[in-house]
Amino acid sequence: MTQATTIPMDKTVLGPAERLHPLYLITGLPQSLRGAWGLLAGSVLLASQDKWLIAVLMVAGFVVVSIGSLLIRWLKLEYRVGAHEIRIDSGWLNRTSRAIPFDRVTDVDLEQGPLHRLFGLARVRLETGASAGAKGEDGVLHTIALARAETLREHIRARRTGITDPQISAEGEPAPLFAMDNRRVAFAGAFNFSLAVIAGLFGVTQTMGDVIGFDPFRRVFWADLLERSEPLQRLVMAHQIVAFIGGSIMLLLLGVGTGLVRTFLREYRFRLDRTETGLRRRRGLLTLTDVTIPARRVQAAILATGPVRKYFGWRVLKLQSLAMDGGNGDHVVAPFATEQEAAAILGTVLGPIAPASGNWRPVSSAFVSSLAWLLIPAALVAVLLGMFSIQFAELSGSDAAPLAGPVIIWILGAASAVAFRWLSWRQTRFALDDRNLFVETGWWRHRRNILPVGKIQSVDIAENFWSRLFGVCTLRLGVAGGGGFSDHHIPALARDEATSLRAQLLS
Amino acid sequence: MTAEPIPTDLQPVEPAYRNALRARAAIFWVPLFIGAMILNKVVLAETPVGDVLSAMVGVVGLSGIFVAPDRIYRRLAYAIDDRLLRTVRGWLFLTDTVVPFVRVQHIDVTRGPFDKLFGTATLVVHTAGTHNSIVTLPGLSPGRAAEIRETIRAEIRADAE
Repeated sequence: MTQATTIPMDKTVLGPAERLHPLYLITGLPQSLRGAWGLLAGSVLLASQDKWLIAVLMVAGFVVVSIGSLLIRWLKLEYRVGAHEIRIDSGWLNRTSRAIPFDRVTDVDLEQGPLHRLFGLARVRLETGASAGAKGEDGVLHTIALARAETLREHIRARRTGITDPQISAEGEPAPLFAMDNRRVAFAGAFNFSLAVIAGLFGVTQTMGDVIGFDPFRRVFWADLLERSEPLQRLVMAHQIVAFIGGSIMLLLLGVGTGLVRTFLREYRFRLDRTETGLRRRRGLLTLTDVTIPARRVQAAILATGPVRKYFGWRVLKLQSLAMDGGNGDHVVAPFATEQEAAAILGTVLGPIAPASGNWRPVSSAFVSSLAWLLIPAALVAVLLGMFSIQFAELSGSDAAPLAGPVIIWILGAASAVAFRWLSWRQTRFALDDRNLFVETGWWRHRRNILPVGKIQSVDIAENFWSRLFGVCTLRLGVAGGGGFSDHHIPALARDEATSLRAQLLS
Repeated sequence: MTAEPIPTDLQPVEPAYRNALRARAAIFWVPLFIGAMILNKVVLAETPVGDVLSAMVGVVGLSGIFVAPDRIYRRLAYAIDDRLLRTVRGWLFLTDTVVPFVRVQHIDVTRGPFDKLFGTATLVVHTAGTHNSIVTLPGLSPGRAAEIRETIRAEIRADAE
């Protein structure tokens, strides 16, 4: 604050007006293309119907309009870098002049798509706290020369911290805090297969398989594919189950392959460095991103794992901060790490990854019993219904009891809900040491939230008519930043335990 | 870590808040009741469920106007000391919120038309949290709301310097 008063804040401090790099006319094109795929698809359709003239006219018109609009945008966008702020003037009909004080910039992200890398350009995104909520067109300079981007970042960082960071520009960098080699990335990709992709593919093959001629669950598909091999073809034609198994294996391979490709695209040459003010993360195969996360802005850490990864001891470490990770919520600082590696990273930012004292406390068993007691009356009703329907079936002389199926499914569902609740209760615990609150929840998707006590914004104790019968309540913590999914709470705490924990957290 | 006490001297808000709640409930229920009457006359009169809808809306609306505001008022309380604001509300779904003054980003005192009519005001406290970032305390007298706002503002300023 003392610096701000000694240096006069007037317009003369601003530097000369600068434009985006002229190659913006090329690098901006993919973005326009993405918005106009409907139009392009339409023109392809027209072309296939031999209406060539209209199709060519449509495409030509689109090219002219999009290049024209890019040209106007390029001509009308100017930015000036000052000692304390950056001013971005943009727009033609709606002119906007946006000033972003460097004091409010949380981090400067550089991103290089394939085209950017070809020409040595970069996209610069200035993250302010405000961009976490709104969509992030806050301070984006779409295409400027990479060297300029780096000096701009250096300038902002020097202004903000008063020191230049020698590690950023120096060539001989010190060893990274955490890095992933190709083997690790491939390993991570193998775990990254998503059931959603498989389910989606299954849906597509079932609904549109006939149209696009790709349905691995049908015998014809395999019969065509195996035309060369007579015995295999006969096997497929004889047994529907073989086609089914083949289809399942194929979808599984596709799912794993998708996961591998996606992971490689995103995490290739993942590298995390500790800088003087925070963490710096670089990754990407086609699109390189270079993100800094100031340690001061970290609000919480999340150590998460999945059911299979947990078994092998792999974790993902995320930091919740005021800025968003390119619109994807929390910043992933270690996508696939052992607990020791995650602890080494977190140790430089927040502190230990587990409570030093090691005295985890469980939550009340009412976490399970409240759900069970809620379901038991309904289960009794279901059993009565089932018995009644069997009686009815005997009386009316028919073989099938009409309600028996749904009742059995319902009871099994309720029982497994209680069982899963019990499993997740065994994994739910919390601990408080002198700086951080640790909360572990979840059985299928296990996660440990590490929350600095000083960053807690508000504390809620919530109970309802049902949980009151069991004498438990939920402690919910307000934490700044993060996506909508980062919910910090401890379920099923005894009332007096919650009150005393709240008093400790707020003192 | 020594646990400092959370303020426990919960105090009720202004009794006039009940009337504000009643007026707000009336604005909601009376047109609904009239609508139900019209619907009853036009569509449902000939059917066996004639008058049922309007009777139900009437009963629920009357309890919403005359019974519920009193209960909401009784279950709403707040406490304040030199560093914390605590609000407790609800019974079926009870929420007990504590906000440290140092975490407050900005403070609103809002007064809607009913607040003006019955002499109440609502204190709205914004924190930076994503969950529960807006804590409201309705039914304060305007003077008391301004007083709390000043207390919190002084605390924020002391923290900033």
